[in-house]
Amino acid sequence: MTVIESRSPTPMPLLRAASIGAFIVLGFFLPRLLGGTSVAYSTLTTIAIFAVMCYGVDVVLSYLGEVSLGHTLFWAIGGYAAANLSTKYGLDGWSTALATIALCLAAAAFLGAVTLRTREFVFSLVTYAAAVVAYEIAFNWDAIGGSDGIVGIPPLTLPLVATSFSAATQEDLWPVSFVLLLLTLGLIARFRYSRLGTVALMAQMNPALAASLGVDPRRVRLAVFVISAPITGLAGWLYAYQRAYVGPDMFESYFLVMMLTAVVLVGRRVLIGPLVGTALLVAQQNLFSLGGDWNKIVLGSVLALVLIFWPTGLVGLYRRFSKR
Amino acid sequence: MNRTTKLAFAMLLGLTAPAMAQDIKVGTIFPLSGGAGPDGQTVTNAVKLMVQQINDKGGLLGRKLTVVSKDDESTPAVGVSRANEMIAEKADVVIEGWNSPVTLAMQPILARAGIMDITAVSKSDLILNGQSNPYAVRINSSNGFDAAVIAKYIVETLKAKKVAFLTQNDVYGNGFQSAVEAEFKNLNFSGEVVMTEKFAFKDTDFRVQLTNLKGANPDAIIVTNASNSSGLPAMVEQYRQADIKSAFVGAVGIMLTTVFKVAGDANNGIVSADIFFPDLPPFTTMPESTAFVAAYKKAYGVDPDKSAALGAAAVQVWAQAVESTKSLDRKTVAEAIRGKTIKGTVFGDAQFLPNGQMQPRYVVFKVVDGKNAKLEALR
Repeated sequence: MTVIESRSPTPMPLLRAASIGAFIVLGFFLPRLLGGTSVAYSTLTTIAIFAVMCYGVDVVLSYLGEVSLGHTLFWAIGGYAAANLSTKYGLDGWSTALATIALCLAAAAFLGAVTLRTREFVFSLVTYAAAVVAYEIAFNWDAIGGSDGIVGIPPLTLPLVATSFSAATQEDLWPVSFVLLLLTLGLIARFRYSRLGTVALMAQMNPALAASLGVDPRRVRLAVFVISAPITGLAGWLYAYQRAYVGPDMFESYFLVMMLTAVVLVGRRVLIGPLVGTALLVAQQNLFSLGGDWNKIVLGSVLALVLIFWPTGLVGLYRRFSKR
Repeated sequence: MNRTTKLAFAMLLGLTAPAMAQDIKVGTIFPLSGGAGPDGQTVTNAVKLMVQQINDKGGLLGRKLTVVSKDDESTPAVGVSRANEMIAEKADVVIEGWNSPVTLAMQPILARAGIMDITAVSKSDLILNGQSNPYAVRINSSNGFDAAVIAKYIVETLKAKKVAFLTQNDVYGNGFQSAVEAEFKNLNFSGEVVMTEKFAFKDTDFRVQLTNLKGANPDAIIVTNASNSSGLPAMVEQYRQADIKSAFVGAVGIMLTTVFKVAGDANNGIVSADIFFPDLPPFTTMPESTAFVAAYKKAYGVDPDKSAALGAAAVQVWAQAVESTKSLDRKTVAEAIRGKTIKGTVFGDAQFLPNGQMQPRYVVFKVVDGKNAKLEALR
């Protein structure tokens, strides 16, 4: 068997490291720069959470070339795990996060195994069906909240060795969401240069080459799908604490359309693509809202237009114009 | 006047403006688009009308009221964004809630910001359990009260011996059925429940269930069906086609305009109950109610329905509490409502339970002319 060497990440020059550091510091103080109001904090926290949610879908779309319509399932698993375990058993944030990761890995392993042989349309359909089934269960099963959902989720607590952290307000939640976003970005950046990331891309772009190199595409697909689930799941986990209420609406198409549009809007395999896409969409809905019906029409049209005319997203559009 | 003096005047005006009393902001968050859009617009319109009437009488605490209305799109995540916007705009009160999940998602956000929050329509019991908002106030009736009225009618007025349920299989339907059964026990009901048939919210074909019910031949069938634009009218039609002799007793609040519009005369004979009617006693004898009905009709060209009355009452209740306490503070205002009686609302004198629930006044009615939505009050 041929050993496929992954591209090792280029050694980071000092300037690059410094500019990344500057961006991180700037990002962290962004809500303060935007006035430091509770709306600035809550909007940016929401953007960070939604962006992390989108990165799960991004991994599947960018590296497997598949559209997962089932990631609302992992999003909901995170929310329901945080809500149920914190209200019923008083568990802290670390435990509910661990439970989220474990449950997402298990669910993704199962769903990934079931959809192993499916491609494209059928893959999308089966993942969507899984989300619909999960929705019906969540809606009808009173023990985990039923159609009314769960209220009274306590503030997020993350007891550390020496100190204890408790996030009661949007301002307190911002550092957590920011760190979660940074961790996700770091993970995705590493994943791009990992062996799995490289192989997944090859299996998608050139299956013949991958096969000739002894790559088992099914194993790669399963691994990528399983890795993507806890990313979206942890976003749902934090969302539960931000909103203090979790209900079957976690499965709503609002989140699904947000995930897909944010990923395709800027372009696939662009590291900050989903983050920029999410920020644009949330800003449109909150600052330049055209009213409920029109927002949906705009969102749906943008998704359709981008997919039809610029499948490479805003980045592809920019490249096309800059070449002229 | 030369340009400089003009400018100086303008600046002076600009400086004095903040010193003048600012308007009191009344926020509304209801679905204004999508399937529930028309319903949410009705409530919002009623709120605007009431605020207009208060302004015409000189406002509140010597200040004018303005309405800021927002669209929650029946989506909890959107409702949360709108609630945050209300905080940014420093609303003094927010009247909200058509869908329970949206209300439940917005409650903690508004409560944390210390904004007075009145739920107009959403019915979930969780809204008043105090976990998210210890100062919650709700105008619409609760499932528990609704069930008591229906159970009382079955046991004491109809004196039914054999009862069956045709129940929507979700928290709403099942919750209502178990509440009615609990009330049967309280009332020492001597008869029995002979059959329970269930269906899903989206169903439109009920012939299997109705055939079974016809076979059981109960005295009354208690129906919960919240799908008022398609499922319920279809059920009423099929009920008549199956020629079932049992009394059709509808859960509280299901007989909305759309049911009469679609199923017409097939509705004749249905018995149900609700908490507001523009054209039935006791509301036709209450001056506050008739004045509201007249003003609403003048402003919007149609009779106000229950949801309009709920929106109007929310404003009245809040405004009276503000007037009596001379305060806009959430705790002060809420304590003047919870467990107290507010006089002269469109629902008459409105009594509130200590948990913030308005005590409704039910009217049990029978449909006499379904085509024209003509009802007759019973008892």
